[in-house]
Amino acid sequence: MHDDGLPRDAEGMRLMLNALVDGELDAAAALAVERRIAADPALAAEHGRLVALRGAFARLPAQMPSDDFLARIAAIGRAEAAGAVPVASDEVRPTQPLAQPQAGARRPASAARGGAWRLTARRFGGQDWRALAASMVVGAVLASGATQWLMVAGAPDSLAVAVADGHRRSLLAASPIDIVSTDRHTVKPWLDARVGLSPPAPDLAQDGFTLIGGRVEVVANRAVPALVYRHREHLITVVAVPQDKGGVVAPADLSAEGFSMVKWSDGAFGYFAISDMERPELDDFVGRFRAAAR
Amino acid sequence: MNETSARAGGSPPAGDGLARADRFSQVVLPYLADALSLARWLTGNAADAEDVVQEACIKAHAGIAGYAGGNARAWLLTIVRNTAYSWMARNRPRAVMAVGDLADLDEVTAVHGGVVDMGEGPEAGLIARANAAALEAAIAALPQPFRETLVLRDINGLSYREISDMLTVPIGTVMSRLARARGLLMSELGERHA
Repeated sequence: MHDDGLPRDAEGMRLMLNALVDGELDAAAALAVERRIAADPALAAEHGRLVALRGAFARLPAQMPSDDFLARIAAIGRAEAAGAVPVASDEVRPTQPLAQPQAGARRPASAARGGAWRLTARRFGGQDWRALAASMVVGAVLASGATQWLMVAGAPDSLAVAVADGHRRSLLAASPIDIVSTDRHTVKPWLDARVGLSPPAPDLAQDGFTLIGGRVEVVANRAVPALVYRHREHLITVVAVPQDKGGVVAPADLSAEGFSMVKWSDGAFGYFAISDMERPELDDFVGRFRAAAR
Repeated sequence: MNETSARAGGSPPAGDGLARADRFSQVVLPYLADALSLARWLTGNAADAEDVVQEACIKAHAGIAGYAGGNARAWLLTIVRNTAYSWMARNRPRAVMAVGDLADLDEVTAVHGGVVDMGEGPEAGLIARANAAALEAAIAALPQPFRETLVLRDINGLSYREISDMLTVPIGTVMSRLARARGLLMSELGERHA
């Protein structure tokens, strides 16, 4: 082990191990760190712990926004588009308790008006239909936005557009999946029974990508299987469209603002993977998916 | 109500509002789960997190013109973080005071906490088998700057560079906080199951 440019102290090497696990090292530095790990059992043990910790993080339950919350936030965008004013948080959830009027006591007019306003605001929960309607409109805008970027990003690809819209819909739906299971031996037969197709559904939990279930998408008038993976807070939808003509096609990028999308083919299925993860992370996922599905 | 009417009077034409709503739905809505997680770990509970994120989204909506492309997640999370701290200063002044001076903390832990001889750490298997509740409790017990850095990286998935920009600290500080935070988690999870 001559001078490999790495820190000589344990603390410095600890930072390098973390950076390796985080994918923050370039190839040369990663190689040097991997050589050190191979030569040093203590480093190898620490590396193993870091990888194990990352796996534990990947299994943390995602904190998905509730429908009610999603509707409230979507309403912020909608409210102004309609010329109204966004509802400020304090008005929706008063932090001060409502003033309790004394029985028969006279209240100043301003306090009465303030109280009425708060009461109305408080009943927001009972007016979910309004927020819901608002979120539906936003959903439509959102979906058309997705369509637009795909058209602009490259050759119009109606499949990709349908897949992107499906993914966005699933993020707004109560649940992004129809069959909840982390077991591919449950998901595959479920899909098979519904669409008569069962694409590879590799178990990538070790790599930090947990299979959380599946659903059926309708793409180009055809029911096709969709797998849903989770990576930290992010959902990845993989749609598998059966192919007649065959041929293996390397991954191609269809990403645009807000969403990353990659498509590839293994001859039997054409795959689309879409997520709000960054491109390199999605590429990492696609690489692992392809390797495991082979 | 004065503020409300002033805002209504100053609202832009409907066309601009529509474009803004469109941008809002593309830049903000996809990252709500991230925003909620960060707010939850900064404030300590899910109900406060919703308040903070809602307030942050109103700010994000108002300032959407200031989003100049780039990583929308990092942009939104920066707003969420700032909102969380001002929210906590408003609602729990004492809790914020208790965080103390961050520079001191880095010094203190460099000497005492988180630095274990690498050869003597717990078995990786123990960490791998730790359940979610144990991990969440261990994260909650981390000192604030460590927890914040860890959550931005391991839960929100930001890069070192993005975290460094957001917290306005050097990358080296991001790295050492991250390594210490993970060191504390690993020894906590290893002990708990030993």
